[in-house]
Amino acid sequence: MEALHNLGIDGKLLLAQVVNFLILLFILRKFAYRPMLEFLEKRTARIEQGIKDAEAAGKRLEEAARKEEKMLVQAREEARSLVAKAEIAAEKRAEAIMDAVELKSQAIFAESKKHAEAEREKIFREAKEELASLVLLATGKMLKEKSEGKNDRELAERFLGTR
Amino acid sequence: MEISIAAEKLFSFFGFPMTNAFIWTIAVSGSLASIAVLSRSRFREIPTGFQNVVEAVFESLLDLVDSVMKDRTQTARFFPLIATIFLFVLFSNWLGLLPGLGTVGLSASHEGQATIVPFLRSGSADLNTTLALSLIVVFTIQAAGIMALGLRGYAKKFFISPMHKPYVIGTFVGLLELLGEATKILSFSFRLFGNVFAGEVLLTVMLHLVPYFLPLPFLLFEVFVGFIQAFVFAMLTLVFLKMAMLPAEEH
Repeated sequence: MEALHNLGIDGKLLLAQVVNFLILLFILRKFAYRPMLEFLEKRTARIEQGIKDAEAAGKRLEEAARKEEKMLVQAREEARSLVAKAEIAAEKRAEAIMDAVELKSQAIFAESKKHAEAEREKIFREAKEELASLVLLATGKMLKEKSEGKNDRELAERFLGTR
Repeated sequence: MEISIAAEKLFSFFGFPMTNAFIWTIAVSGSLASIAVLSRSRFREIPTGFQNVVEAVFESLLDLVDSVMKDRTQTARFFPLIATIFLFVLFSNWLGLLPGLGTVGLSASHEGQATIVPFLRSGSADLNTTLALSLIVVFTIQAAGIMALGLRGYAKKFFISPMHKPYVIGTFVGLLELLGEATKILSFSFRLFGNVFAGEVLLTVMLHLVPYFLPLPFLLFEVFVGFIQAFVFAMLTLVFLKMAMLPAEEH
């Protein structure tokens, strides 16, 4: 006991120190460690959830991009086939139009040819008639007598082969 | 210059001896408790500044305890004790390094010579504090062992029948272990007391020999010692707790 006293050990102080430390332990446990532990655990859970969400969102985005790419390719192909189809149709139509034009032009050409021929014949006939009268006149003059009557005229015309 | 192993009594409070070490112990406990209570409401989801430091320290301590316990529930159970020991001892040790150590105090006469009863004395430089801590720790160790293994299982560690394999040697080793448990009280308390008290004496002596510059490296060294001793006290508590909860080895 003397040794303990010499070292400064005092029953009252010792007990007080024990109580003091236990109170401190209790207060820190209640107000610092427990809330802090819960707080940190909650935040860790939240961060984990956040990372998981972000990963899921990234995956979804990737999928959407892939889908978009696929759709784009499909659309491009569709457009290409549409254009090709349209080209073919247009070509066909152009051909048809060309055919129609040719047909029409041929018809016009034939018509005009016929017309021209008729005209020519008419001119020819008229010229012949003229010529016949001229020939009659000339022959009359040559015979120094004026031929009269229908017979002579008819003769002349037959001679020229216009009738 | 007066060097006293016992903490000096400043005054009596209803027959209770208020020593300088005890007052500073109360101061450290009060500050830690009020910091804990006040900072609680200031915690934010997104940490800034001081909260970052607190969280970093808290988490590294938690990881340290977890790495020894290897069991989350045991960590949660014993972490408060380990952390409180560490913080309390750390700040008690560092408190003794404040200016005024051994120089500012009440004037007194000792054997006819005028001396000073210093106001400042670290709580850890008083055997009452360290002994109180080691009593709590050793008691907790025994309680943890009994709770984990049961009274019979825990007693089997110390009382080994001489009829089995190592025979009398086993029995003897078991009794030595029992003695070791009791010795822990002494080793815990005197290790901390010795280190901190020696540091304070060293600083006081240095200050009286060469007041300027020379005490500086010793002061820095004592800051280091204060941290190491707090860490050692907490770590030994942790390791002994873990060992007490491990079942006895089968021979």
